[in-house]
Amino acid sequence: MSASVHPLLRAKRRKEALRNLAFLSPWIIGFCVFFAYPLISTVYFSFMHYTGFNNPTWTGGKNWSYVFTEYPLFWPALRNTLWLVVVMVTLRVVFGLGVGMLITKIKTGAGLFRTAFYLPYLAPPVAATMAFVFLLNPGTGPVNHILGGIGVPTPGWFTDPHWSKPALTILAVWGVGDLMVIFMAALLDVPKEQYEAAELDGAGAWSRFRYVTLPNISPIVMFAVVTGVIQTMQYYTQPLVAGKVASGIIGNSGQQFEPGYPDKSTLTLPQLVYNLGFQRFDYGSACVIALVLFALSMAFTALLMRRRSGFLSAED
Amino acid sequence: MTQATLDRDIPVRGSGADVDARARRTAQRRRALHWIAVHALGIAAAAFFVLPFVFVFLTAVMSDNQALTRDLWPHTWQWSNFRTVWDTPGFLTWWRNTLLYAVGGTVLTVVSSLPVAYALAKFRFRGRNVIMMLVISTMMLPPQVIIIPMYLFWAKQLHLDGSLWPLIIPMAFGDAFTIFLLRQFLLTIPREYTEAAKVDGCGEVRTLLTVILPMIRPAIAAVALFQFFYCWNDYFGPQIYASSNPAAWTLSYGLESFKGAHHTNWNLTMAATVLVMAPVIMVFFFAQKAFIEGVTLTGVKG
Amino acid sequence: MSRLTKAAAAVAATAAISLLAGACTGQSTSSANDDASKDVTITFWHGWSAPNELKAINDDIALFEKAHPNIHVKVQGNITDDKINQALRAGGDKAPDVVSSFTTDNVGQFCSSGAFADLAPFLSRDKIDPATTFPKPMQEYTQFQGKRCALPLLGDAYGLYYNKKEFAAAGITAPPKTLSEFKADAVKLTKSSGDSYAQLGFMPDFHGYESTPMHVAAQWGVKYFDADGKSQVAKDPGFAAMFTWQQQMVQALGGFAKLEKYRSTFGDEFGAKNPLQTGQVAMGIDGEWRLGMAKDAGMNDLGVAPFPVPDDQASTYGKGYLSGTIVGVANTSTKKNAAWELVKFMATDTDAVVSFANAIHNVPSTLAALKSPKLDPDPGFRTFIDIAQNPDSTTTPASINGGAYQVTLQDFGYAYESGKAKDLQAGLKGVDSQVDKDIAQAK
Repeated sequence: MSASVHPLLRAKRRKEALRNLAFLSPWIIGFCVFFAYPLISTVYFSFMHYTGFNNPTWTGGKNWSYVFTEYPLFWPALRNTLWLVVVMVTLRVVFGLGVGMLITKIKTGAGLFRTAFYLPYLAPPVAATMAFVFLLNPGTGPVNHILGGIGVPTPGWFTDPHWSKPALTILAVWGVGDLMVIFMAALLDVPKEQYEAAELDGAGAWSRFRYVTLPNISPIVMFAVVTGVIQTMQYYTQPLVAGKVASGIIGNSGQQFEPGYPDKSTLTLPQLVYNLGFQRFDYGSACVIALVLFALSMAFTALLMRRRSGFLSAED
Repeated sequence: MTQATLDRDIPVRGSGADVDARARRTAQRRRALHWIAVHALGIAAAAFFVLPFVFVFLTAVMSDNQALTRDLWPHTWQWSNFRTVWDTPGFLTWWRNTLLYAVGGTVLTVVSSLPVAYALAKFRFRGRNVIMMLVISTMMLPPQVIIIPMYLFWAKQLHLDGSLWPLIIPMAFGDAFTIFLLRQFLLTIPREYTEAAKVDGCGEVRTLLTVILPMIRPAIAAVALFQFFYCWNDYFGPQIYASSNPAAWTLSYGLESFKGAHHTNWNLTMAATVLVMAPVIMVFFFAQKAFIEGVTLTGVKG
Repeated sequence: MSRLTKAAAAVAATAAISLLAGACTGQSTSSANDDASKDVTITFWHGWSAPNELKAINDDIALFEKAHPNIHVKVQGNITDDKINQALRAGGDKAPDVVSSFTTDNVGQFCSSGAFADLAPFLSRDKIDPATTFPKPMQEYTQFQGKRCALPLLGDAYGLYYNKKEFAAAGITAPPKTLSEFKADAVKLTKSSGDSYAQLGFMPDFHGYESTPMHVAAQWGVKYFDADGKSQVAKDPGFAAMFTWQQQMVQALGGFAKLEKYRSTFGDEFGAKNPLQTGQVAMGIDGEWRLGMAKDAGMNDLGVAPFPVPDDQASTYGKGYLSGTIVGVANTSTKKNAAWELVKFMATDTDAVVSFANAIHNVPSTLAALKSPKLDPDPGFRTFIDIAQNPDSTTTPASINGGAYQVTLQDFGYAYESGKAKDLQAGLKGVDSQVDKDIAQAK
């Protein structure tokens, strides 16, 4: 923007800049007050000893070293997150793709099937989780009654550290409706000619899937995987409610609820922010977890934006 | 399902030169078998998706004594369970709070996000891509990342702890996901429309309200629905801000306490679960099309 | 960087600085200079939620308001400890004046942080001597490092519940008094059926509802911290003895895997299908509230007795684990004198304590109330009152970071019983070092 610009043009540009600012102002204010400020503040508090009662005092890296080397819940939560990324995200994508393919092939009552497949995605998470804790109650739930009735071993589900994450995975796969719809749309976009050409070459069902379907929808698969990973970073309500309800300790009674019941197997990183910040009131250490969460989320978001530059595409 | 997809599913072998009756019969049989296989699979999948709802509902109308037994079918249909839940002290308040949060939050979000999305889609200015990147970044961020300072801000500075305002007020300042989704949709509207409006002497605001708004109604419906469901289902927000004041609890938060210590009845808990799920499902049936379009938009267009 | 983002950054920085400066204000503390004889409204928070409990607490408050017509009480029920903690930190006019908490765990936090007002000046002004008013364990769990910031408001005592019918069927005539008798009875009462049980004598797993390490360890009279406030779980032989005993019980009754599988068939602890109430287990450790719950569920065959003690401590039979509800005055309150009147009434007025205890089946928390003739004469209930008064009964002490040390001990318990942790002494040392680290972090 040099001085050689015509004054009229400059006036027009200034007017445009003002207009842009006006349209963007809600977001600018929101971004500053509800994002930039708290983020800076989170960094600040991560170096402070602060319980909510005292004046924050500088502690250097004490909170950081506490979280990484002494806080007993940090590494289990990270390991659980890794497990969920590998198993839950994979199964959700595979299942979402499978159901999406199925729905494109169903001819009779397609609308009805689609609604049935989609509905669980909408179930409020707290309600859905409580329902699953009931359904999968090891001793009294209908699922184990049925499994026991046909002579299949009955797992402890949400009360067994080896089965709690699989149980959460079943709950997550049950709510796969979002991925199903996305895959369905992508599958219908695959050019028909490519299938016809493959058939002419005598390709079987698997080859058609492998060499026609998959290459066409691979960006969507990638999208589903990366957003799945990001969602796993945010995974909070379901494991928390499942742990609380399955342990039978929800609050009110004289006992503290056990974070990550059973045996820390349902802990995730966001729960640690709550545990440190709102149960132990160590705001400083809670901010350390928050920043770890921030770094991980941003890393995967960067991956998403690199892989799918379409995210940023302008129309011209 | 279009005819094209129908054809695609029937493998036709060979060049089609010697189409005799036997081959036709084989093709027919294969087609029937294929139909049966696909629909059998569909029914199995549907059972997986629907049966949990059925069990929850059946338990909700059982008597207290039956709720934990092996009998899955209610001996007596105890419809009064719903009444009992409805009459629980607080339930109506939770309901009202949830509605306030969901409706208020949705209206504020849409109104504040639309101009931002419009500017990002239609105006050319430096830093536009940077802003877009920041929008996506905030969209992907877990709410827990900034909760400590946010909580201290609302509770210690403004003393709004124990209410839903710390959740509703920020929605008047744009929501990243809504901005992103609306922008994606606005990009699909050719520039000619806005140019034409400008030639007619419309300002940007009028162009947005009179030309663009009617065109993007499905997108508005979709983002409104998403936001409504987000607020309705939100657990973490009310857990942080509303929990210390039962008069401000929402359904999601109250539902959990419903199964609180010392008086656990699964049949009533499941009845409460049904009452929390019901509105969401009803809204979905009314607005199914907008919803599915919206989901598709998140992943496919871009 | 565009002009816009620069401007945004500037705004953000300014906002952050001003807000951070604001966040640095410490807790405001107001002294007790309000006039408790003037018309005033105070807010009282508690955690009770069941209809009969709510009625009982509201009756209690009504009595208070009748005695103090100028003080009006706004009652807020169904509040958990986390939320009390949170609201006390937030302060403001919506924060409570009087707070009661279901656990004694957080008293250390409340006292040391100054969240609760020091009650010593009020007590001396009104000539109440805690030592002659409250039972000793309850005196202890309501203060921290010499600072009394809370009073006990009813208590919980833990004892042995046993199924009389199953005892008779096994030919057992009296509840066991020592742990070796207990083990023999438990084995006698156990009926295996395939890879599960038709009936189990006792569920020793630490997840077996109330059979937690802390509740059981009280039978050894353990001490959690030494004089310097350092964790001494490895030093106090009671803990190792307790874990060893639990291991022996697990082995004698069929092994951990089999027991855990059986445990998964239990109904909810607070539901009608509690294993004690269904007869799935013949003996269990539980609090006094189980009496009323069992009755409500139509179970009338449960007997109660003190939980057995180690053989070498047989003379201390009759003791048990104690806990209770506490009540205090929020330091942010501007109506402390009025608030104190309510605390004094609820915690020390004999009639108020007795009728509240009778109404919700908890153990009364003053010496006078324990001796009151108006107290429910039900023999089961009396057993718990005796446990509460036993001089050898103990509780888990207050700590600066609440119940974190108990969680650590419990976690080790889960690891040890499942065989994940093998070396008991090393494990207990690990607990000590973790507890000390957590306390250092909280300071």
